Amino acid sequence: MNPIIQPPKPRTNANKRELLFTFQSIIVTGLLAFTAIAFFLHFNLRIEKGIKVIFAPFLSVVPLLFVLSILRDLRQGFKEGNYGKNEIIKFCLITIGITIAFTCVTFLLTKIDALEILLAAIMAILSIVFFLRSKIKDILGMSIITGIAEGIIVYMIFLF
Amino acid sequence: MQLKKLNTAFIITIGVSVIVFVYLVFLGYDEIKTLKDVIKIIASILFPIPLLFFVRFILIEHFLPENTDAYKLQHQKPATILLVVTIIIGVVSMQGVEWVTGQKLEDHLIFAHLINSTTISSYVLNYILYNNLRVNGILSGVLLSLAIHVFFLTA
Repeated sequence: MNPIIQPPKPRTNANKRELLFTFQSIIVTGLLAFTAIAFFLHFNLRIEKGIKVIFAPFLSVVPLLFVLSILRDLRQGFKEGNYGKNEIIKFCLITIGITIAFTCVTFLLTKIDALEILLAAIMAILSIVFFLRSKIKDILGMSIITGIAEGIIVYMIFLF
Repeated sequence: MQLKKLNTAFIITIGVSVIVFVYLVFLGYDEIKTLKDVIKIIASILFPIPLLFFVRFILIEHFLPENTDAYKLQHQKPATILLVVTIIIGVVSMQGVEWVTGQKLEDHLIFAHLINSTTISSYVLNYILYNNLRVNGILSGVLLSLAIHVFFLTA
């Protein structure tokens, strides 16, 4: 009826998967920003060494840009059809493993009591997410990103 | 087969969310006091969303139902009726409970918070997995009645 509401073209499953992947990475980015703000406010972190705070993000951003520029695409792309049972079990296990790992990583982040190191650590995780987003567009990337998000949330609910 | 898997995923995610909320209640959330509580609440609301995206990502085939104009036209009326009925039932039951027990909802904010976050989680679930318009009506009704109760009907 209404041409504005209708989608511009029929979407394939690979396109849908790509969209979900993008959403998931946006959620993770938001969660990391939220984590950073929460820790800053909760622990009353002070800017003690201003120069270090400015340079902290470069530690991870510069290698990321370098790797992104020289590495060829690792992606196998998104599948059009369904995933098999073995694949689903395998990637669910990977997701659970990364969830546990990132619960520990978030725990370690709370142990950091210097603003510049915390900033650098969060930027490093963010760089990993962007690397996965741009180079490994695959179900493996999706499991890792989901694991990171769930790990942060699980820590925030149960252990923080 | 895919429908069955989706149902299983739905039930598991609901179950995990319920566990999280029960945990929060037993933690003693009589009031929201510090920044920490706010963070936990936000995290608990966000909890099911990445899981859902992952499930949707894996089980993309035969995603249901198709959100077509015909489907919408067919379900507009029942969904609207359900919305109105749920709002009335929600407001009346909350007033009734307050009147019977003689206590205010504001004194037990955890219940309001519990209803709120459970409904929001189910809302997201429904939106991503099912897109069922009738369920949408009921959930919207619960949220609206809670909002009406808190904003307008309490002195």
